[in-house]
Amino acid sequence: MTLAPARQPDKVSVPETREKRSRADTAFQAIVGGCSLIVLIALGGLVLLMGVGGQEAFRTFGLGFTFRNVWNPVANDYGAWAPLFGTIVSTLIGVLIAMPLAFGTAFWLTAIAPPKVAAVVGTAVQLLAAVPSIIFGMWGFFTIVPFMARHVQPFMMHNFRHVPGINLLIHGAPFGTGLMTAGIVLAMMIAPFMTAVMRDVFSAMPGMLRESAYGLGATRWDVMWKVVVPWSRTGMIGATVLGMGRALGETMAVTFVIGNVTSVGWSLFAPRSTVASLIALQFPESPAGSLRLSSLLALGFILMLLSFASLSLARMLRKDRK
Amino acid sequence: MTETKPQVALAVRNLNFYYGQNHALHDISIDFPARKVTAMIGPSGCGKSTLLRIFNRMYDLYPGQRATGEVLFDGRNILETGLDLNILRARIGMVFQKPTPFPMSIYDNIAFGVRLHERLNKADMDARVQDVLTRVALWNEVRDRLNAPAAGLSGGQQQRLCIARSIATRPEVLLLDEPTSALDPISTARIEELLDELKEEFTIAIVTHNMQQAARCADQVAFFYMGRLIEVDTADRIFTNPRQQQTQDYITGRFG
Amino acid sequence: MSDMTTSSSGWAPNANGARRRRTDKLATLLGMIAAGILVLVLTSILWTLLSRGVTGLSAAALMKPMGPPGSGGGLANAIIGSLIQTFLALLIATPLGLGCGIYLSEYGNRQNRFASCVRFVSDVLMSVPSILVGLFVYQILVAPFGHFSAFAGSVALAILAVPIIVRTTEDMLRLVPIAMREAGAALGATRWRVTLFLCLRSAKTGVLTGILLALARVSGETAPLLFTSLGNQNWSFSLNRPMASLPVTIYQYAGASYEDWVQLAWAGALLVTMGVLAINIAVRLSARRG
Repeated sequence: MTLAPARQPDKVSVPETREKRSRADTAFQAIVGGCSLIVLIALGGLVLLMGVGGQEAFRTFGLGFTFRNVWNPVANDYGAWAPLFGTIVSTLIGVLIAMPLAFGTAFWLTAIAPPKVAAVVGTAVQLLAAVPSIIFGMWGFFTIVPFMARHVQPFMMHNFRHVPGINLLIHGAPFGTGLMTAGIVLAMMIAPFMTAVMRDVFSAMPGMLRESAYGLGATRWDVMWKVVVPWSRTGMIGATVLGMGRALGETMAVTFVIGNVTSVGWSLFAPRSTVASLIALQFPESPAGSLRLSSLLALGFILMLLSFASLSLARMLRKDRK
Repeated sequence: MTETKPQVALAVRNLNFYYGQNHALHDISIDFPARKVTAMIGPSGCGKSTLLRIFNRMYDLYPGQRATGEVLFDGRNILETGLDLNILRARIGMVFQKPTPFPMSIYDNIAFGVRLHERLNKADMDARVQDVLTRVALWNEVRDRLNAPAAGLSGGQQQRLCIARSIATRPEVLLLDEPTSALDPISTARIEELLDELKEEFTIAIVTHNMQQAARCADQVAFFYMGRLIEVDTADRIFTNPRQQQTQDYITGRFG
Repeated sequence: MSDMTTSSSGWAPNANGARRRRTDKLATLLGMIAAGILVLVLTSILWTLLSRGVTGLSAAALMKPMGPPGSGGGLANAIIGSLIQTFLALLIATPLGLGCGIYLSEYGNRQNRFASCVRFVSDVLMSVPSILVGLFVYQILVAPFGHFSAFAGSVALAILAVPIIVRTTEDMLRLVPIAMREAGAALGATRWRVTLFLCLRSAKTGVLTGILLALARVSGETAPLLFTSLGNQNWSFSLNRPMASLPVTIYQYAGASYEDWVQLAWAGALLVTMGVLAINIAVRLSARRG
């Protein structure tokens, strides 16, 4: 306003364009803000609809629905425990196998491999992370399942049949499908992803810190284990939790290899099912408005909560580091 | 003479260094007298830090970097292949520009290097930690919080911790790469005092941008320019009566 | 110099050093094995796909629509269906993701509660199990209308693509130096002009990368399409009707007991994987050049 006298000739036109400009800016902000609102609503709707759809199941069976070990479409009696058990155990197996794989690969790529080799292998690992999950499922079905049925299971049966404890874990006919197979396929799926995250975390460590450890006469493994790992612990846990989140909700890779039997038991080689695989298989057969459909949606709701929890954990850890 | 300690700790002969195609050091020959401070000065990129990083073979971490010539240390050419780098680095310690405390406690920062090379029981380790912290004048400041993370110390304290960490492995040579460039004047002064005490026992090679620091601390000063060693002499001679015109120009601030 | 000729015992390795070197060697070996396993898995997958898929990949498979077992059907309608649905999904997701990403980077500072909420939600959406997205879209776009539709499938894919585009757009815009914004503002440009014509333009490659990565991610997705576009044995170009797609066809055919269907499933799997990997390699190459 104080400038106005000095800009006498523009007096009329300037405020007008300024007005227009700010209106355009407001409109722009409204548009991009609107996009954000849609994204927000999408997730809100996702959680809400899953809960609403599953309402009937929760009303019929109570909150105990989560821990009922029954899935019987004939008697119209449902509980989430069997698929939940399968989901959790296959995810755990997957993460337990993937963690050392990812850690070892990331260690080798960042500290050992010559740069040219690391570039090639690193690209291969990233491409593996990009392979669609249904391909992992088919690959698992046609290569891992027969291998488990013909070699691993007979071998385990032969050697550990009489070892108390272990015999329970390997009990069952050698179908090849089951929790262990699903865990292995999941591990191969999430390990590349975890490797990529860990690699980023490791190479984010200041070079001077690495050099001072080498400067004291440490070997590459000393540096890795005693300096890099403590420095990047939360980042590594974050990577693992993110991988776990992926394994929890994976559908196609698991559906092919888990055998799809809704039961619970000790054996890691027996066919089971997971939340996602059960939904994929039974949803098409569930008529709209049925208790079965509602139970599947309730399962979806529980899965949503699980993946939400794991993501929140990963985010918390990431904030910690900053 | 044969039974006394050697007078020259590091002897550099016709050393050339390459970053890939880039010829970074040209035909350097220089002696580092034992238990003396040698300061290396020169404008940025003149090769002084590069020379320092040759002495503990830090360049081995990076492909494409190579050195030719000889650097004699305790009867061996440290550039030869097959040399045990871990032992070399235990015998030639290094302190970096910025403090680099490891993500662990103050105590473990010191113990980390020691554990790599020696097996000490708890009491001996405690004694070692106290000894080196005392020598860098940090003991009284941290004795009550040895198990606190080292990252909680101030910058000057962290740098003294890093020096303590380096001398805890009992090296013979200490390499310092602009150790005070990230510190305030008071912390800098303390580190300079510390150097005076440390040279009783260690051979010290220090890279610095700070001419006053070189004049204050060093017994011998080497001036580098464009990857060549222009002149090396006692600190007095270099700063009062240099033989080379380029040295004169640099210390009087005409370039760099 | 005479002092330098004799070497002391300082070079002798101690027991500790030998042990550490062994550990180091072992760790190196294990690391290499881990990396080797992952490379082996990739090779095994590619080999399985090639050895089983190439034989089924004939001109007939590419030109003919699906058909009953033994009738010499192909994959043509599934390929076209996948292209239509993926393209439509990107058409929906790109403006939405760009807008949201721009909002987050330009207006979403720390004090903005709404923005941090959106950022969190977008993160959640990125890792939400894709089958749940399928269920969600079924409930809003399939159940109320009483029939499956290609449009529903596209929306499901779009929901998966949006968070990837949001994330890369925001990250890339944040990398634009403040000096560039100030220079634009100093010329008297309005904020939206600065954002769209300066920032977005200079972040172009990165944003495009995000869109391509979203495309790669989405084009292999199966689970969200199962309950939305369902699949279709015949040619259909209507967005309002069920439409075939490659991943769903693979899923249906791979488990079938007809040899020619399994054959087609492998051919389809090979096509999808090659497409996805080609996009990824292209993105990587362009990123290296840029």
